[in-house]
Amino acid sequence: MAKVFAIDVAKCNGCYGCQIVCKDEHCGNDWRPYAAPQPETGQFWMRIDEKTRGQVPVVKVSYTPVLCAHCADAPCAAACPAGAYVRRDDGLLLIDPDACTGCGTCVEACPQGAVYLNADLGIAQKCTGCAHLLDNGWDVPRCVDACAHEAILWGEEADLADFLEGAEALPAVAGLGPRAFYRNLPRRFVAGAVVDLEADELLIGAPVTLRGSEGFEASQVTDEFGDFLFEQVPADVYEVVIAPEGYAERRLKADLTEIDRTLGDIPVERA
Amino acid sequence: MRIKDKTVLKNLGSCGFGGAANTACVDVLDGKVVRIRPLHYDEDYTPEDLNEWRYEVRGHTFRPGMKTLLPPLSLAYKKRAYSPNRVPYPLKRVDWDPKGERNPQNRGVSGYERISWDEATDLIAAEIERIGREYGRRSILIQGEGHGETKVVSGAHGCSSLMLDYVGDEPGDYLIQARQPDSWEGWYWGAKHVWGMETHGQQNPQDNVIWDVSKHSDAVLFWGADPETTPWGWGGLQPSRLCYWFDEIGIKSIHIAPDVNYTNAVHADKWIPVLPNTDAALQLAIAYVWMTEGLYDKEYVATHVEGFDWFEYYVLGHEDGVPKTPAWAAEKCGVPSYRIKALARYWGRHKVSIAHCNGGGYIRSCFSHEPARLEVCLLGMQGLGNPGVHQFKFIEWVLQGVNPVPPSAIYPTLMGVYHGWRMGAPKHFIPKTMTPDAILGGYTHDNPMTWYGHVVCYMKREDQFLEFRYPEPDAHPIHMIWSDTPCWETCWNGGNAYQDAVRDPSIEFYLVQHPWMENDTLLADIILPVSTLFELKDIQADIFSGQWNKIVYEEQAIEPVGEAKGDYEAVCEIARKLERFGGEYEGLYAKFTCGRTIDEDIEYGYRTSEVPLDEYPFEKLKEQKYFAFPTKENWQDDPVGLELFAKDPAAHPLRTPSGKLEFYSIGLAEHFPDDKVRGPVPHWIEEADGHEERITSARAKDYPFLLVSNHPRWRVHAQHDDIPWLREIPTCKVAGPDGYLYEPIWVNPRDAERLGLADGDVAKLFNERGAVLGGVIVTERIMPGVLYQDHGARTDVLRYGAGGLDRGGANNLICPSATTSKNAAGEVTNGFLVGIEKVDVAALAAEYPEAFARDYDPAAGLVATARIVKED
Repeated sequence: MAKVFAIDVAKCNGCYGCQIVCKDEHCGNDWRPYAAPQPETGQFWMRIDEKTRGQVPVVKVSYTPVLCAHCADAPCAAACPAGAYVRRDDGLLLIDPDACTGCGTCVEACPQGAVYLNADLGIAQKCTGCAHLLDNGWDVPRCVDACAHEAILWGEEADLADFLEGAEALPAVAGLGPRAFYRNLPRRFVAGAVVDLEADELLIGAPVTLRGSEGFEASQVTDEFGDFLFEQVPADVYEVVIAPEGYAERRLKADLTEIDRTLGDIPVERA
Repeated sequence: MRIKDKTVLKNLGSCGFGGAANTACVDVLDGKVVRIRPLHYDEDYTPEDLNEWRYEVRGHTFRPGMKTLLPPLSLAYKKRAYSPNRVPYPLKRVDWDPKGERNPQNRGVSGYERISWDEATDLIAAEIERIGREYGRRSILIQGEGHGETKVVSGAHGCSSLMLDYVGDEPGDYLIQARQPDSWEGWYWGAKHVWGMETHGQQNPQDNVIWDVSKHSDAVLFWGADPETTPWGWGGLQPSRLCYWFDEIGIKSIHIAPDVNYTNAVHADKWIPVLPNTDAALQLAIAYVWMTEGLYDKEYVATHVEGFDWFEYYVLGHEDGVPKTPAWAAEKCGVPSYRIKALARYWGRHKVSIAHCNGGGYIRSCFSHEPARLEVCLLGMQGLGNPGVHQFKFIEWVLQGVNPVPPSAIYPTLMGVYHGWRMGAPKHFIPKTMTPDAILGGYTHDNPMTWYGHVVCYMKREDQFLEFRYPEPDAHPIHMIWSDTPCWETCWNGGNAYQDAVRDPSIEFYLVQHPWMENDTLLADIILPVSTLFELKDIQADIFSGQWNKIVYEEQAIEPVGEAKGDYEAVCEIARKLERFGGEYEGLYAKFTCGRTIDEDIEYGYRTSEVPLDEYPFEKLKEQKYFAFPTKENWQDDPVGLELFAKDPAAHPLRTPSGKLEFYSIGLAEHFPDDKVRGPVPHWIEEADGHEERITSARAKDYPFLLVSNHPRWRVHAQHDDIPWLREIPTCKVAGPDGYLYEPIWVNPRDAERLGLADGDVAKLFNERGAVLGGVIVTERIMPGVLYQDHGARTDVLRYGAGGLDRGGANNLICPSATTSKNAAGEVTNGFLVGIEKVDVAALAAEYPEAFARDYDPAAGLVATARIVKED
């Protein structure tokens, strides 16, 4: 039965353990016919995409594990002129290192850069799902085994149904029948604090409204630190309206099309 | 297909001292380590077998997990065994001639030639005998107290001292570089004087504290704590899982630090940026708000605190005319006064605990005893020991009995066969922080170097009132150094001064035994190649996991790399050679080994480990390779932290003179009545005792940034810096235009713009003590006005000594040399002033052509061949 990867980004602490064990398994180790040795450095069959978000004093780092999605309609396999791509019953898509000619067509074809060219060996290489281990007694690939947080799972779709409900694929491969699904992929956030500088006090319970360009609206009140934080909102240009009782309303623009924003300490004045 | 030939278990923690952690399955194929993976307990045990502990709180459940929780440092560890920087065979510095010129000035500069083990041990034994005879063995400085691989029978650190214990009339006749309470500095030198808490100075006991926090706390303050980094080498990722647990059950994580550390990055609900080592000002202002707004537990203070009036007198400004208001603090610590007030009020109105591992930047900065004491005072004002109000730590669980997670039923100990230095009170010693000064300070019997306390982390509070001196009245100064801990330069307080010290002519012989050609190793006269633990058999007791205690039978995984021998075997070889001198050396080998082989040691160690042998027979251990021990029955009944003290301080007093929380420290008042820096009541100290490390200091004109140099994310202190798979991670190294991987320097975008720095630039951090290079990362993870570079990078020295220059980014080289304060001999290695400027690497290469031309592996970094000039 075909299996899928299920990755919860919210559970990833960024330890890079998955990226490391992939190298531990494949760098310098020859698992042909499943996989030839991976070069010592430079290839990331499992890689962490790390992104620092926001500005002082609201800064977060998101870590997204990215690996070959073993897509059903894999453009890499379709592009391969040598017929080196092999689909297994468990859904894993392998490149036969003996059949691969190293032409590099598939490297170009993968929309998420998950296929690498090994110049020394003259072949293309990528995640095998540790198929050589699965065929020799292992239940899961190395990355799944190593994760302390069960942020990466691999199993039957039916067994992962709870996870898959509402999960999504990475945008680059979304239309290709990918077999890697994610929860909690980072969107955008906007944060700030509301302060009465004259009183030298942060305002607690101040209403703050976030309005997007297409009818999106969300409201909250500032917490005990005078903070507001709108998380996981779509990329958009927003208006932030701050209207504490007895104070003049403040309206600020927050352009979240490219990045997350920390608006800092926003002064308000008595009306 | 063969995916392995065999599996052996290894503990890949990095603490040393026989304290194992991070138990891994090591698969071996064709004589090589092929993979390192977690151990799955469920292959041998059910949760019921192990009396699995659980937290069931707020509708959620935390379970300890049925596999070991290995950090990337352990998962990648085979690369250390196969590092191109391994010491391949015994080496002698080419221009060190014990019968002629010793050329001490060339240490670090001159290359090495290959010699045989026989020749090396001949030379070493002859030097030990000669120095013992000419000066006395107290002229031999033993550096045997560092962190490193955890080995027991092959005691990696201090095996030398154990051997010398068998020479002469009584044990201990040599000079020990004393193991300091490093990383706990402020707790040890400060907090103890408020609350006792032997022997670290952090809260002890912490029994059931994390369970209680889960039930009762609204927030946890992470005051510089980074559970996603610091505990990795000590016990793995259970602290990380507990941070997620706090997230899950809605406990607010509030981070107070200059940097967005790796825990803040993924767990914080709130970050309060504070300038490095200005926490004391912030703490005083919090106390001020509580005092002026009535937001503290007056009843508790009345019954549990000694000297609150003194503290109040100072905080409110009656002592010095300066009320410690939020506005006063804001100027010093960079936190706006309105935010200080909000924090104080939040804390005053909620159940708040404080987490550490081991104390963030301020605990290792100048005057660290002050913020440490102030933290205890603040906890005291909020009813320390009551539900939800505790201090707890995410690292070194069980060490000295401090354990915030449920305990095991069995605590095995292998100290009976531990061939390393035992952390008792050394007979003859100097503080590690004062090693350079001891050598270069010109001290004599009439004008000795003095300090207080044995400075060993296991000493009690009163020990800090004893005065010691070097050289001792009947001893010569240091003439030989024997190190198995060669990372003084990159881990301690002022490595450039250390370089000058060991290049002094008084140091006639410098011996290093170590697996790798790194850091101080490059200063040695003779280098002995030591095996990694993969190459050795051993027995280990893992009590640090936060899951279940284990005892592990560690088979040899691979053959020795090159001519390496085990740490213990290397010292045994020296013992054999010393026997030739007869007299007090007669029979040394037999005395040292107690007549046991290593296999016999392993069995003897197990039989004396306090594990019940009828239930857990040795033969079964050899078969199953490990035993995991169940959770203690009824662990839930153990009193929570300082609950008993909170409930009845008279019946359960603290270990202070008054038995209470001493906001006025009676011991300090009695013994150091004139000390204005560590006085009876904790104060804000601007500058003193050789430290001018404030942004307001005159020096800040030239060195305007405060440097945060945390315990590293991708190393344990100086360990792991040669692992290619770590060095590829974007926060581990930054590729310079020359392809060299530089240690990152974090610069806030506002500062970067002003300074003309961009991602990937090579920059120099500098002060009057020297300079180190780094690769710039422009990031919001550091507040403006502050720079960040992890400590512990491998040195790659371009120019040695005071005013020197290091390419590796080992910023301890330019740390202050002065100790915590005059009467507190701790290290100061964080939160000090530096300048930064962009460096033209091509120009530097032209200035130091030899260093830039050295062999270098772009993936692993420095390589041994760079230093070896004669291979046969």
